[in-house]
Order: sequence, then C-alpha cells, then structure tokens
Amino acid sequence: MLIEIKNIYKIYNEGKESEVRALDGVTLSIDRGEFVAIIGASGSGKSTLMNILGCLDVPTYGDYILNGTDVTDRTDRQLAHIRNKEIGFIFQGYNLIPALTAYENVELPLIYQGISVFQRKERVMAALERVGMADRFGHRPSEMSGGQQQRVAIARAIATHPPIIMADEPTGALDSKTGKHVLEILHSLHEGGSTIILITHDNGIAATAHRIVRISDGHIVADGTREEVGF
Amino acid sequence: MNITQAIKMSAKSIFSNKARSALTMLGIIIGLAAVIVLVSYAQGQNMAMQRYYESMGTNKISVSAYDWTGGTDISQSLYDYCLNLSDQVVGFSPTGTVNSAPPIKFGSKTLAQDTNGGGAIIMGGGMAVSGDRGSNYPTLYLGNNQFGQCNDYTIAKGRDLSYLDVKNSSKVCVLGAATADYLFNFANPIDQIITISGTPFRVVGVYDYKGDRSSSSSGTEDDQWINEMISGMDKMILLPSTMNRIFNNNEPISDYVVKVRSAEDLRPVITGLKGFLSKMIDSNNGYYSVDSNDVYKEQQGDAAKMQQNFLGGIAAISLLVGGIGIMNIMLVTVTERTREIGIRKAIGAERRSIIVQFLIEAAMICGIGGLFGIGVGYIGTLIVGKLSFNTILIPSPGVTLGAAAISVALGIIFGMYPAIKASGLQPVVALRAD
Repeated sequence: MLIEIKNIYKIYNEGKESEVRALDGVTLSIDRGEFVAIIGASGSGKSTLMNILGCLDVPTYGDYILNGTDVTDRTDRQLAHIRNKEIGFIFQGYNLIPALTAYENVELPLIYQGISVFQRKERVMAALERVGMADRFGHRPSEMSGGQQQRVAIARAIATHPPIIMADEPTGALDSKTGKHVLEILHSLHEGGSTIILITHDNGIAATAHRIVRISDGHIVADGTREEVGF
Repeated sequence: MNITQAIKMSAKSIFSNKARSALTMLGIIIGLAAVIVLVSYAQGQNMAMQRYYESMGTNKISVSAYDWTGGTDISQSLYDYCLNLSDQVVGFSPTGTVNSAPPIKFGSKTLAQDTNGGGAIIMGGGMAVSGDRGSNYPTLYLGNNQFGQCNDYTIAKGRDLSYLDVKNSSKVCVLGAATADYLFNFANPIDQIITISGTPFRVVGVYDYKGDRSSSSSGTEDDQWINEMISGMDKMILLPSTMNRIFNNNEPISDYVVKVRSAEDLRPVITGLKGFLSKMIDSNNGYYSVDSNDVYKEQQGDAAKMQQNFLGGIAAISLLVGGIGIMNIMLVTVTERTREIGIRKAIGAERRSIIVQFLIEAAMICGIGGLFGIGVGYIGTLIVGKLSFNTILIPSPGVTLGAAAISVALGIIFGMYPAIKASGLQPVVALRAD
C-alpha cells in the first residue's frame, strides 16, 4: 500500500464545549496508481483529510503509513522532505507566489530539493511543456488567466516527479471548459503512473475517477468504484 | 536550498517592495550616517587640538627650577647636564618672557599692549600665548641660540640667535612671522633696527609661519580659536636670554625647555632631570618641576576619546531605532506573507530555509542601507570637515567598517524574531491566511 491511515481523528478544542471532530475515526488505504476522488459536502472533513494525507497537518490521533514508513511522529524537517519528494499539491486557489514568474514558481520545489541549476532548467521546462505552458514561462501569476495559473501550479506539483498528486478542488475556480482541460491533464498524469487523489464536492468531476470515497461528518460513508458508490 | 538561492530570493523580495524597503533602509541610513559624521567630527576636533600641541613643539620637556639662595648657577648646571646627554637631548634653552610690556617701535609704528589686553597666559610647555585675541602685541621671549629649535621655529630669513649673541648680550632679536609682517609690512626686516623700551635692537632673522598665513574667516569658533592660538605663536620676538638684565631687573630665568630626540627619550630624560635637580635644589630653599608637553597632548587625546565615545553613543541610539524599524517591517512582511510561507512549506521548504530567507532579507536591507549610510556619512563628514575645520576630513576605516558590521548585525538580530515566528507555522495554518 502506498497510503494507509488507521483510525485517524482530527479534533479541535478537544474536551471543550466547542469541540469539533473534523475527522472521526477514518481508516483508508490507497494503492499505487489509483485515481481516487474524495467527495463530500462543505464541512464534511474532506479538506482536513487531504491536509493530513498531504502531511500539511498532523492528526490528533491515529497512524499514518506512507510508502511503508510511519509518518505520524516525524519532525518538521522530515515532513518537509516528504512533502517535497513524495507529494505534489494542486490547490483550488492555485497558490502560486505572486512575485515569482511561472518558471520561478515551478523551480521552487526543485530548489528546496537541492537540484543543480542546469538540471532544474531542464525539469522546469519539461514540466511546463507537459501542461502546455512552456511559452509563458516568464509571466507572473497576475499576467495569466485562472486556467493558466492552475496549469502552472500543476507543473510545479509534477516538477519533482512525486509518486502522489493531491488536488484540492482543482477546478473549483475555473470555468467548465478550462476545468475539463485541467482534469484531462490529471488523467494523463495518472496514465503516466502517478497516484492521483482528487478532492471535490462536484459529483460530475468525481465521476471521472476510478474509485470514489464519500465522506460526511468526519466519517467515510462510501468507498468503491463508480458503480459501487452509485454514480 | 543553498545560500546563493536564498540571496536571490531575498533580493527579489526587497526589489518587489521598493518603497517599503527604501523607507526601512532610511532608518539605517540616518543612524549610520549620524554615527560616522559625529565620530568623525570628534576625531577632527581632536586632530585640530593635536595639531595645536604639535605646533607648540613636540618632544619637549619644560623645566622650572629656582633657588632662593641663588647659590648655584642652575642655568649653567642644567646646560652642562644636558650636554652630557647629547645622544638624547638635542636642544636646551632658557625660556623667559619679558614681564612688563614695553612699547616696541619701528619708524612711525608702535606696538603697545591694548588697554584691555591682560597679560600673556602661560600654556603647557612654557610657551606663552597671547591671551588677547585682538592684540598684535608680541610675546617677548628670552632664550638662547637653541630656543627656535626647541620650540619648532624655523628660520625663514636671516639667521637665528648665535651663541655669541647670548654670551655677549648683543642687542639683536629674531622676529616671529606675524610680528615681522606687522612691523615691516612685508619689507625686508633684516638688519633693521627696532626699539624696545627705547633700547635699539637689530633684527637678525625672521622665523617662518607656524599658523595659517591668511587666518581663515570660516570655521567654527573652536577651530578659529585653535587657529588663532597657533597663529598667536607667530606673534613673538626672541631676545638673547642675557637681556633679562635690561628687562627683568636681572631676575634669573627659572624656566627652561629641553628638547629630546624622540618620544622614547622623554621618560628617561625627565627621570634624569628630576634626579639631578633634587640633588641640586634643597626643597626648603627652592623649587623645581619637570613636565612634558606631551602629557597635555595625551590628556587631550583621552578627553577626545571620551567625547568621541559619547557622540558615538548618541548616534548609536538612532541606529538602534533604525534596527527596531527593521524588526517592525520584517514582522509586517511576515504577516503579509504568511500564505507565501505556507506555500513554500507545502512544497517542501524546511523551517531552516524560511528562517535563512527572512534573515538574509533583513540583513540585505540593513546591508544596502548600510552602504548608503556610509556614503551619506562620508559626504556629511566632508561637509562638516570643510565647515568646522576647514580641512578635508575623511572618516577612519575603523569607524566605517565597524558601522557597516553593526548595521548587518542589526539586521540579523532584529530579523531573527520575525523569521523564527514565520517558520514555526503549520503549513495548513499558514495556507489559510489571506
């Protein structure tokens, strides 16, 4: 198994009256090469789940085994390395750094990885090529449309060749045509061997995944293929 | 992430916020320039004072010795003693002044002491300097053929006093440059006769200027005072020491100046002279003292150092305020860029990388501000030097380097807190920030 979480809890204000159980005992396994969509309404806990899967947040309780190693009690530094090497993130709001050009944004994870300047150039351009943005490498985020920014964000996510791509509502801020294009890119990455975890509230987008996990009030309420979940 | 990358990133961030970076730097620029200008000002003032002491003559020992009984010829004994130390002592002269202020005449010109002019004041080293700034009345010295050498006067025209002039009580004199100018109006004074208190004296020589030929009207009061003090030394007339029988009722001269070869010779010769005089003069019947002019010079140096530290301290406060400005701006920057920090952490930035980036950014703002500050400080020092001391004053490299190091250190120290604060955030928390 590539990803294995067991009995994960994420509890805010534990023990107080205002206690919120964003995740309430979630167990989930994802295998290498899967294309999984995690769906749920707003506030269902799906984003919390992604944050924990992506090592952006730590669970209150529970175990997380990523690629055979337990990452529950890792140091800040080790988690930074895992995020850098194992996971590529795609966010709803793109999350590009405004002061940097497309090229520099894509280059960033490679810099943190310590890759030499010559190799970086090759890999940045390859990643931008892959999403069809090679000709816009010198543009800043403010000079690009939403769809273009998201494609640059995808290029940044894939630049380090991570085994896992996590996309949190990647099409949420895009019109349907560009959204479709972004989905196509994700599918082609999947065909290239990447494991894709897609978080969405949109059933239509989730329907393109091979496996669908439905989450509600911090619990997994359905998990299976399109047919099994009832799409 | 390596340092080169961190520097590039910091530079990008500084230049993408030009106005803010410039304002932050302003604090450092003003602080640093203030430190440089004020410390340089203190150094310049010290330099002017040192120049004054040097123009009075260096490596000089002043001896006062008096014996009420009048039993021994102190002058001759001291002269003999110094002669035996000829490898250390290069000059010896009695240094008396004429007690009264007799009128000095040449042709129709008369030099008499101003009514408001008090007596001459005695400065360290036995050199009398006219205490009255407006007066052209010279100090009348009584000395020997080595007086000029002992007091760093050089002959410009004619000759100095000779051994025989002193021995034979010749009625000759050597004029200071200012006095010669005044009496002779730039005509050649050599072999002209002036009268002092009605007694004719032949001018045999004129000393060169010690002060500025044209006493400048610019400069601060302090500086003019020093310049006038130095120029005051050009208002003098040297008479053979044996003339004391005419002017001072044959009262023996009790002050002497001993010139030694180098500064290292000062201490041993002073010790030797004290020993010699203690044997010769009974403290019940006489008095003696041995002092070095350089002691005053050293004291002045110490005082200047204190003043320098004091002014530097005041300026350092403004530098500190500039440093707090850096911290303030870095905190704002961190808050503003929390999301960016979240993004960087999400794609794999270690905590260390974030700290290093923000620290370098703060250090660069301070460093660039420091460079401008040094530039402004240099220009300010040149202006202050010109206005206050009428000289080209340049900050010492020590002050410059020290100030630059302080400004970078300030950046690092005050950038530390915001950097640590920024790096400690959970990525998910940072990403949620707007």
